[in-house]
Amino acid sequence: MNIGESINLYKTYYCLDCGVCTGSCPVSRVLPTFSPRLIVEKALLQMGDELLSDRDLWSCLTCGRCYQRCPTKIDFPEFMRNLREEAIKRGLAPALAHHGMLQSVMEFQAEGVRQKKTDWAREAGKIADRGEVFYFVGCMPYFDVIFRDIGVDSLSIGRSVIKILNAAGVTPVVSDQEACCGHDMLWNGNPETFKKLAAKNIELIRGSGAKKVVFSCPEGYYTFQHHYPQYFGELGFEVVHFFDYVQQMIADGALKLSDGAGTYTFHDPCRLGRMAKIYDSPRAILGSLAGEGFREMERNRENAVCCGTTGWANCSSGSKQIQAERIREARATGARTLVTACPKCRIHLSCALTSMEEMDLEVKDLTTLISESMR
Amino acid sequence: MIEMVRELMDLLGIDRGRLELQWVSSAEGARFAEIVTSFTHRIMELGKSSLGVAA
Ligand code: SF4
Ligand code: SF4
Ligand code: SF4
Repeated sequence: MNIGESINLYKTYYCLDCGVCTGSCPVSRVLPTFSPRLIVEKALLQMGDELLSDRDLWSCLTCGRCYQRCPTKIDFPEFMRNLREEAIKRGLAPALAHHGMLQSVMEFQAEGVRQKKTDWAREAGKIADRGEVFYFVGCMPYFDVIFRDIGVDSLSIGRSVIKILNAAGVTPVVSDQEACCGHDMLWNGNPETFKKLAAKNIELIRGSGAKKVVFSCPEGYYTFQHHYPQYFGELGFEVVHFFDYVQQMIADGALKLSDGAGTYTFHDPCRLGRMAKIYDSPRAILGSLAGEGFREMERNRENAVCCGTTGWANCSSGSKQIQAERIREARATGARTLVTACPKCRIHLSCALTSMEEMDLEVKDLTTLISESMR
Repeated sequence: MIEMVRELMDLLGIDRGRLELQWVSSAEGARFAEIVTSFTHRIMELGKSSLGVAA
């Protein structure tokens, strides 16, 4: 889609030039040359060539904070995604984090490989090849290897999910052949690889006989819920986020949590919060396991700030500033534990924490907290 | 780093033997030839990888 078509699709000509987007943007605060308002304006003024070759195109976190507040409801993240597709077509690309290792894994999966990545799941509990409920693990097995050096055991999230599902009497399908959901490829402007990955997943899940797919990763959840139907139509299975599932299990009496001691605050992931609009179930769960120990950060729910980098691209000193500020905000609530709800938020915030030695704060995923609180 | 990539290859189902890192100085021609020859033999023994053929 060229720039003109993107303008028409997202009706960016309704822009009032008010600057609310730039004023709301976490990147603009740390990188003063970056301005969503200016990007919208440049596109309208037909300065597309300049726009597409600008590094700033890849600095946007696609976090949706601007979109949330824009008075004319211009979907800036989606507009940005379209501009990126156009930029990639012209041979421009973002600076990939971690030597592009994660994108390479995704490209391998898109081409087709015989993966072997579920040993941990069999050790964690009972899983099946076919069944009603499919647990979509996402890229955690790969994260577990790559981010071990910063002390993040990514698969602890997956192990907790299996333990919790098993305790509630559910034996989920976990598959070696599951591919990345395609989220990062899509937001990095590469819809072709996204489509290959998505097609593989849809076929795999349909073949497993599952009626319900449970996600602990917000990106996977949102991508399946929002973008898969856009590209592939009716999926033929239900897409459920794990926290909604847990909340239901608690309501049904299938799961009991003990209220633990400790002080917690919660970081809303962009995909879970502003995009998928899931704010309540994680808070209900935190309320039932932490009671009075749960405190909100100043910027929460719709106003939450992103964890500083997305799609394994353009991680910069600006990202680090955003993360450090978020960590200080979390600690300022008095909480000792910053609870995350996305494997990537956990990695990025833990990464920033490694250079904040004086900070007396622990980062923990909500799934782990739930499994530790099970009675 | 190389060990990390090997672990990623295990997950991807690509034989870890397909990756080799050796440092050879420009003065060690014979050693270079030996390493490349033995690596080539190893790859031939392993045959076609699952890349592009599997689901
Ligand atoms: S907030 Fe919306 S209307 Fe205001 S400048 Fe940004 S895009 Fe335009
Ligand atoms: S999506 Fe987020 S990072 Fe991108 S311009 Fe909007 S507020 Fe800034
Ligand atoms: S914040 Fe750390 S883990 Fe995340 S992309 Fe940047 S360098 Fe990598």
